[in-house]
Amino acid sequence: MSNQDNILVLPQTNQLLSLYTIIRDKATSRSDFIFYSDRIIRLLVEEGLNQLPVTPRTVQTATGVNFDGVTFQGKICGVSIMRAGESMEQGLRDCCRSVRIGKILIQRDEETALPKLFYDKLPEDIADRYVFLLDPMLATGGSAAMAVEVLMSRNVPQERILFLNLVASPEGITLFNKKYPKVKIITGVVDQGLDDNKYISPGLGDFGDRYYCV
Amino acid sequence: MSSYNPITSPGTGQTIQYPKGSQYMPPWRQPYIIGIAGCSGSGKTSVSSKIIKKINVPWTVLLSMDNFYAPLSEADRAKAFNSEYDFDRPEAFDWDHFVKCVKDLKEGSKRVEIPVYSFEKHDRTDKVLSIYGANVIILEGIYVLHDPRILELLDMKIFVDTDLDICLARRLNRDILHRGRDLTGAILQWNRYVKPNFDKYVRLTMSNADILIPRGLDNTVAIEMIIKHISRQLTLKSHQHIEHLIQLGHSPQELELSAQNLIYPISESSPQLLGIHTLLLDTQTCRGDFIFFFNRMATILITAALELISYAPKHVVTPQGTPFDGLQSLDEIYAISVIRAGECFENSLKKTIPTIRLGKLLIQSDSQTGEPKLHTLNLPPQLEAASEGKSGKWTILLVDAQMTSGAAAIMAISVLLDHGVKEEEIIFVTYLANYVAIKRFRSAFANVKLVVGKVEKQQGVRTPRFIDEKYYGT
Repeated sequence: MSNQDNILVLPQTNQLLSLYTIIRDKATSRSDFIFYSDRIIRLLVEEGLNQLPVTPRTVQTATGVNFDGVTFQGKICGVSIMRAGESMEQGLRDCCRSVRIGKILIQRDEETALPKLFYDKLPEDIADRYVFLLDPMLATGGSAAMAVEVLMSRNVPQERILFLNLVASPEGITLFNKKYPKVKIITGVVDQGLDDNKYISPGLGDFGDRYYCV
Repeated sequence: MSSYNPITSPGTGQTIQYPKGSQYMPPWRQPYIIGIAGCSGSGKTSVSSKIIKKINVPWTVLLSMDNFYAPLSEADRAKAFNSEYDFDRPEAFDWDHFVKCVKDLKEGSKRVEIPVYSFEKHDRTDKVLSIYGANVIILEGIYVLHDPRILELLDMKIFVDTDLDICLARRLNRDILHRGRDLTGAILQWNRYVKPNFDKYVRLTMSNADILIPRGLDNTVAIEMIIKHISRQLTLKSHQHIEHLIQLGHSPQELELSAQNLIYPISESSPQLLGIHTLLLDTQTCRGDFIFFFNRMATILITAALELISYAPKHVVTPQGTPFDGLQSLDEIYAISVIRAGECFENSLKKTIPTIRLGKLLIQSDSQTGEPKLHTLNLPPQLEAASEGKSGKWTILLVDAQMTSGAAAIMAISVLLDHGVKEEEIIFVTYLANYVAIKRFRSAFANVKLVVGKVEKQQGVRTPRFIDEKYYGT
């Protein structure tokens, strides 16, 4: 079971491609990498917010006429998959002030080589909220799947999860969508595939390293 | 067929011929030029200052003919230092240069550079005065009414006819107290040069004048009358200009707001954007929310504008060593904000292009006539290259939060075009725009791109400027 409608790729405009060219380039400095990643993240967040339902609301404008608008239903939160996902928090905050942010730490178990949940801290009322799940790279989708399982165990329905990432692999996106057809995936670009080391190719290296360390 | 009939001014019959059809001519393309002549010491400068003070129009320029003394030869300069050089003959001036400058000022289409003459050195300095966008120019000097080429450029010709005894007394006062000359020298100068030249040449130019002012500044009645006349002419001129602006929006065809017409409205269907519009338009929204959501909207608009610049292929290698064929933007991006509403974009501009170069210009509507006037202009120095005819790869984002009548937008673009920037290099970015204003804008400029957040389509509804008021809280 899969649902193509729940895979959203940002419009591949010249501007977006030029932003990706900067962050893919290994010669790009860390400060530029951060700045231009943040710009893409902001586009992803705007696209994510666009998916949320609104209710009609009529307001009075400066000319005294009524404007038939809408109002946001609110109640959202972010959940970042540590550590790389935390790089997307600022982009979320730039669009939603004082948004609540939960964290999930998933790491590869040294013995079994499978992803393992080490830590999570989520808002109490997460079941009533729309959740923006943040992880910049969707490669195999292993940790994302585990994060969705954590959210579902807290009674968050799939249809209230929006998974935001900058780069996805075709394999990862298909697999994830098959497993969680009701979760909305919003991604900036779908790359060619995974290389032998299970890295996305052409990719942009290790996102967390480039954002936080290198 | 629609054609535009200019209003004829009563009395003088002087009208500004606005071009028919789709062209726009900003008001400074037709500055009002007043020439004031008279004997040295007659009070020309005082009369000019009085007029400037009273008409109270921004960007009024007082230009003295002294700046146009011809450069002296070594021999003449030595004479000048000994007070033996005749500065009062017509030949002492560089007439061709003077005529050219006044002509350029009259056309008002470019920056005019006026030489600066130094009496200490008796030579032209390497400094120049730049004049651009003047509404009123007052030329003063003994020979302003001398050359027929100048006469035909003047809108009003004044001769200050002060008694020569008084002129002499004033000159002595000035020469001795302020210019450190002695009494004998000053009187010698008067007898040898000033008076003979006045009798021989200057006095004759009196017949070229429209108005004579006997007794100079003391003649308050005459000066009041002149000021009234000038004010009336200027009001008429702004009415004609506003009429012309209104006319621009009156084309019978509907204008389709689409990329085909270089108009890029951001998506209306997106619920999130509709929600932001609702918050921004709601008078009940608190300032904190308003600023936050305006910044968000501004970032969306700037991002939309940056889709319109040119990109070229760029080949890079990713950290995994894989080659990637991407794009890079080639254009240097400049932003120019229309003070003050345009400045609401600056936060978002800096967040989108951190090193962006910002220029500013201030255009304000006259509180009485409603005519927009240019008050201040600060362009990034790099853009000066444009005025020298060099073409760079640049895009200029001209930002203003609202377009209500379109007048300010049209004026701002005229300023850029006058500085050599091309229409195709400009993207005008605005949040709230009135449909008629957009039509006006498009009839004035066919090739300027327009990125707009929300279009007011309802007939007869025109939201007044409120965004900057709310954004700044003043």
